[in-house]
Amino acid sequence: MEPDRFPQGGDSRRVGAQPPTRTGTQSAAEPKHYKPMFNGSAGEYFRIWIVNTFLTIVTLGIYAPWAKVRNRRYFYKNTLLDGHSFDYTANPVAILKGYLIIGAGVLLYYLTEAYDPRFSFIFVLLFYLMLPFLIYKSLRFFARNSTYRNIRFRFLGTLGSSFSTYLLYPILVPITLGLIIPHWAFEKKKFFFDNMAYGASRNSFHGRSGPFYKVYLLAVLTLFGSFFLGGIAVAIALRGMVDTLGNEGMRSFALMSVIVMYFVMLIVMTFFQQYIFAWETNYSWGQSRLDTVRFKSTLKATKLIWIRITNILAIIFSLGLLAPWARVRRTRYVLDNLTIISAQSLDDFTSAVEPDVGAYGDAATDLFDFEIGL
Amino acid sequence: MITFDGTYFDGKSSRAHPVTIRADETRLIIAGAGSDLSLGIPLRDCVIQPPLGKTSRVITLPEGAQCETDDFEAIAALEQRTGRNAGLRLVHVLESRWKMAALSFAGLVVCVWVFMTFGIPFLAKKAAYAIPPAVAENLSEQTMKILDSRFLRPSKLPQRRARTLQARFKKLHENIDGKQKYWLEFRKSPALGPNAFALPSGLIIMTDELVNLSESTRELEGVFVHEIAHVRHRHGMRSVIQNAGVFLLIAAVVGDITSITSAAGSLPTLLAQSGYSRDFEREADDTVAAYFSGRGWSTKPYQNILRRITKNMANFPGESLLSSHPLTDERIRYLREREKAVK
Repeated sequence: MEPDRFPQGGDSRRVGAQPPTRTGTQSAAEPKHYKPMFNGSAGEYFRIWIVNTFLTIVTLGIYAPWAKVRNRRYFYKNTLLDGHSFDYTANPVAILKGYLIIGAGVLLYYLTEAYDPRFSFIFVLLFYLMLPFLIYKSLRFFARNSTYRNIRFRFLGTLGSSFSTYLLYPILVPITLGLIIPHWAFEKKKFFFDNMAYGASRNSFHGRSGPFYKVYLLAVLTLFGSFFLGGIAVAIALRGMVDTLGNEGMRSFALMSVIVMYFVMLIVMTFFQQYIFAWETNYSWGQSRLDTVRFKSTLKATKLIWIRITNILAIIFSLGLLAPWARVRRTRYVLDNLTIISAQSLDDFTSAVEPDVGAYGDAATDLFDFEIGL
Repeated sequence: MITFDGTYFDGKSSRAHPVTIRADETRLIIAGAGSDLSLGIPLRDCVIQPPLGKTSRVITLPEGAQCETDDFEAIAALEQRTGRNAGLRLVHVLESRWKMAALSFAGLVVCVWVFMTFGIPFLAKKAAYAIPPAVAENLSEQTMKILDSRFLRPSKLPQRRARTLQARFKKLHENIDGKQKYWLEFRKSPALGPNAFALPSGLIIMTDELVNLSESTRELEGVFVHEIAHVRHRHGMRSVIQNAGVFLLIAAVVGDITSITSAAGSLPTLLAQSGYSRDFEREADDTVAAYFSGRGWSTKPYQNILRRITKNMANFPGESLLSSHPLTDERIRYLREREKAVK
């Protein structure tokens, strides 16, 4: 890793010095293509990560919100679009308050559970009732503290639609024997993409749930197909083994095949998740409009699967030390595949008129990690 | 006078204004490059955002405006003058050097080790003694309900044998710890085999299988003392609290990578747990040794029955049967570890 010591002013990465990548001519009608650029490096992020983790532990967790903000801000500030970076402006003290409230709830849960496990049922129920509220608050907090060119993002979804998305649909899943799951996935994407706003410009989502059914059906069929084929393979192998191995041999073979099956399951599930993630992300960006701005995401499932599996292996075999590298690598891939297509200049966005900034709730709920690729 | 180039954003539109910024003793003077933008802002109204990596520096101005610049030296000089961000500037210095990162890593390892060996056991002990007896009783009751319905059957021991053993047990616990309530019950358990365990409430369960396995009452007295020690030192509650503490610690360290927490976090948790229960078993066995030698008894009978239990246990697939309940799982593990400690 190169010695990138601070300060080192006036280098090549001047703010605003990078011209946007563009296809086509400069005429106003011809839309320009902007590609976000990720400038972070694994080595630099590793140092930030390890120092902040150490400080979190040594302060018994008090520093955790500062660590969280620094970690996330590193990714935001290193994401450049048209020569300008994003920024994450959350106040760590607000996050600390949120942590303390959540921590008190968890402590109360453990105490009541130790006293009488029957109470814990009520707690779980309460948590699920609270979840849509927490997600709603988290999304607002996340959006409000994300900025680009000093214009804040906003989340305009209502508490009511959060409850229908995160309470009603989960209840409907068992009633409909799971058939509603693709529609639920669609509703979740819609809740996010249809309610995000950059300043005064609200994003709109034009997707339908039909394509979700197609993709989920394909994924589930592939999943069952591979389990079926895997089962046949194991059965054939077992038949062959019964004759050649004795009883003792069979026992260790059975153990081995359980371990192998476990890893196969893990890999198959990764395939499933990453395939769905790639498709949903590409589709959601593709169906989004921000004023006249369009988006294009070209994630490939095969590439994401490869990144995920090698990342997990790298993290396990490095005892966690390669986690920062893994995160930088995945972020870079996701961002590299996003294109912003705009006929209007990126200079012409305005901030929201209503002054909801700052006056908004103090204790932040920062429970859920929302990424740009969400 | 500090002068530097930067970009000004008014916070109302996304337009970037290239500017030259001068800072005198009290004010920040922002002048547009090639435009008639001109602002004078008192320094005390400006907030310099903490440095991070090699990313551009941000100065937040009143009314939602801000300046950005890549002139790190100018901002550092400005920070020096205003004395702002002292804490996070230090963090930034640590983050910028590989040597400091290596030291942080070493510090992290040392901290985790210190917490695991001293911090968590110490705090768990304090907490265990602070927990009201009602909680321990409730917990024990619930555990017994589950055990009785799944693994235990009513004892088939002859009444006289049971009463003799209970009388011996009473004498022992009165000698060791007069304050706490203890009582002994027997159960038949084909699932657990020869076994004994203590619940935090002071209830000690011994299986008929263990009584039948013993060759003398002295052997069983060793087991009684061992279980009494578990109750007396609150090992049950302490282990529950310690395991929760280890989980929290690992969650804090790898909190960044939630998706792998379960895979990467379970190994150290398991290692720590077996380390803790070994400590508890040792403490309980220490009590046996101290009590027995205080009476001039040899611990040989106790060792013998442990060895016999171990031999017998091999025929019982205890873990797979019990893994549905963590508390009983822990109990089984205690016994296993004790066997190892004595060997």
